Amino acid sequence: MSEKGEILLVDDDPDIQDSLRIILESNGYKIRTASNGRQAKAAIEEKIPDLMILDIMMTTDTEGFDLAYELRDNPEFKNLPILMLTSFLDKVRQEGPGPFEFIMGEQWPAHWLFEKPVEPKKLLAKIESILKET
Amino acid sequence: MNPPRTETGRRDLPVELHERKRIILRELKERCLWFIRLRWLVPPSILAGTAVAGLLGVEFAAASILLVAAFILIYNVAFLLWGRRFGADPSQEADSLRSFAHWQVALDYTAMFLLIHFTGGAASPLIFFFIFHIIFASILLPSRSAYGFSILVVVGMAIVASAEYLGWIPHRPLLFRGRFIDLVEQPFHMMVAWGFFAATVSITAFATSSIMRMLRKRIDNLTELNETVSELNEKLNTLYNVIQAIGSTQKFEATLETVTRELASVMEVRGISIKLLSEDGRFLRYAAAHGLPESIFRNRVVEVAKSPLNRRIIEGEPYVTGQVTQPEMFQFGEDLAAAHLQSALFVPLTVEARVTGILGAYCVRPDRFGSEEVEFFRLAAGLVAIALENARAYEAVENLVKERAWFTMRVAHNLRAPLAAMQSILEVVRGGYLGELNDQQKEYLRRLNRRVGTLLAMISELMTLARSRSEKIRVADETVDLSVIATRIERTFKDEAAEKGLDFKITVPEDLPVIRGDSGMIEQLLENLVSNGIKYTASGGKVCVTFSKGAGNVRIEVGDTGIGIPSADLPNLYKEFYRSDSAKAIEAHGTGLGLPIVKEIVDKHGGRIMVESEEGLGTIFVVYLPVERGASGGVDSTTDASLKKDAPVVPNQGNGRNRSTLSRSAQAAADFVRQMVRAASETDWSHPRGSAGRGQRNFPLRRPAPAG
Repeated sequence: MSEKGEILLVDDDPDIQDSLRIILESNGYKIRTASNGRQAKAAIEEKIPDLMILDIMMTTDTEGFDLAYELRDNPEFKNLPILMLTSFLDKVRQEGPGPFEFIMGEQWPAHWLFEKPVEPKKLLAKIESILKET
Repeated sequence: MNPPRTETGRRDLPVELHERKRIILRELKERCLWFIRLRWLVPPSILAGTAVAGLLGVEFAAASILLVAAFILIYNVAFLLWGRRFGADPSQEADSLRSFAHWQVALDYTAMFLLIHFTGGAASPLIFFFIFHIIFASILLPSRSAYGFSILVVVGMAIVASAEYLGWIPHRPLLFRGRFIDLVEQPFHMMVAWGFFAATVSITAFATSSIMRMLRKRIDNLTELNETVSELNEKLNTLYNVIQAIGSTQKFEATLETVTRELASVMEVRGISIKLLSEDGRFLRYAAAHGLPESIFRNRVVEVAKSPLNRRIIEGEPYVTGQVTQPEMFQFGEDLAAAHLQSALFVPLTVEARVTGILGAYCVRPDRFGSEEVEFFRLAAGLVAIALENARAYEAVENLVKERAWFTMRVAHNLRAPLAAMQSILEVVRGGYLGELNDQQKEYLRRLNRRVGTLLAMISELMTLARSRSEKIRVADETVDLSVIATRIERTFKDEAAEKGLDFKITVPEDLPVIRGDSGMIEQLLENLVSNGIKYTASGGKVCVTFSKGAGNVRIEVGDTGIGIPSADLPNLYKEFYRSDSAKAIEAHGTGLGLPIVKEIVDKHGGRIMVESEEGLGTIFVVYLPVERGASGGVDSTTDASLKKDAPVVPNQGNGRNRSTLSRSAQAAADFVRQMVRAASETDWSHPRGSAGRGQRNFPLRRPAPAG
């Protein structure tokens, strides 16, 4: 199986982590995992992956956002493509930096945002298109 | 802060006097003019009298009497011309108006004396006409003048009689059949006649001027009464404004603002303060202070135990002082002195015998507050206390509602996470990542996946509902073009309807007005209604959406020829989780949240929703959305001709929470969610993945009271 790229999968829910890891690995991606922002940061500093899948609410409600903004403001990591996941899309809409329409705008530190559960087909298609772009 | 106002409490005295004088002078002028009109009758009467007396054979100096009549006529014309020179405001020419009156009286007396002289002097029967003059003089002139004129009459008559008796002036007696009453021959008779005349005149002068004095006093009293009434009216207005504030303002701060401002204005005082008692009754906090320097109340807390004054007021005793110079009574006495405040009045704010605070009034004048003001202030304090209590209760209820919505949202969020994980794991198994599955395994996993999907949808809708009920998400106030939404709805449902073999039609008139509201919400409203229509209508049926223009609103009709809603289910239509048996027969696993969301959106837009349905024939939902937000979108249901009279019309109901009316079939679904909710409520939120507890049937969606 040829390697399509390396993805850092950040989610504090081990069930989501496991199931996404299986799906992605079966589709030819190399997967590293992290369960919180601190671990994710360490993993990135060790080696920058081709893409990061990042849950928003982990230990804190905004942990994913905090990490994403931190990386965007760091010239070393600002080119790392991020695909965000959340179970609470309406909460993100409500309390996030702006309405959903701005998610893909400059305000947002991520390339895309999916609401969990995400259909594997859609997720794979999006990952492929993001990796092709960058 | 308002500009400083005068604090006299009444109008300036000079202004008041001037006003009174003006009224009196205007009356004097009117009376003078009335006498001129009355006097026109005198010359014709003299003429008639002369004629009658001549016919009866009375002999007298007729020519002289007619000359007197002519004299009266002439001076009355002169007075008429003089009277026209007075303008509308007689106070400018008070002196000339007074001499106008005096001249009239003087000339009338002269004419009267002449008439008496020519009709027999002391023996003249006309002397009693003087009584009218006395009456008129006392009406027209101050009472002293009336007495003066009566003395003049009596003395004048004495002089006339004496002069005739002594032969200084010719005596002109009345002759009847050659005989006459010659009082000159009988001085005693003349004296007696004069004496009685003098007495009659004096009594008349006394009587009329006393009556006039009484009348004038009455007028003064009425004027004063009038003033009191208008003052009372002002106070009533203030109380009314306070009552209005109770009804219309539900915000605590706004209520404080309104009542202090209104009270300061009507009591004409510099400042009004409201101190509120803490729950434990130990502290008084300044909640509002209208017209007072900020230093007095800003962040100030009074410890009740250290303030004998406040303790006394809290015990129910009003406190009045005209001299704020007792520093031991006032904790902030220096501040009051610095603001030049000298009088203060404090009464307790009481609701149902419970003191909630203290209402205070401050004035820069010393000794300002009398007992009447204290009474009024107590009355006002009662209303203020109710207003504040009302606002507080409203805010508490509002917080409770928000709290409930927040809680529901939190519960829903925490239900979503494990379900999302479940579905994610299912995807792995179903996708064959862990090895191939046989068909039966696939089928059962498909069912499992579908049930999880239903649960997720239910939670999403629950979240939508909770969100729209919490104030956090406001309904956008934007221009909504319904024709654009109509096009989108058509696109969304066209294929689905065609697949099912339904006739799906949307009608939008050209002149449909745009409305104000939240287009996302309105689209969701229509999606829910149309998707229901399609879901519950069998192949070959029809689903129609018709937009039309109403009076100040837009009418949207969503009709189908589907299974219809049993009339017994109509009252429960907008209750969460409610699903009728017939709906369950079509789709086993609906959420029962679609119509509650529709109703919530209609409510948020100030609109109305009505439904007409007949089992087996179809259902029509009619939604009215106001063109302007806040304007009433409602129409009286009886005027809506398109709704059949005998069909049950269900106007949108309050958020009925009568769980006991849930039908048995819906009960199961509701119980399930309640169990989840209960489990979630027992979860410590800091550890979101706690274990689920056992279910309880009627779990109330409530948390302990919010802090704050």
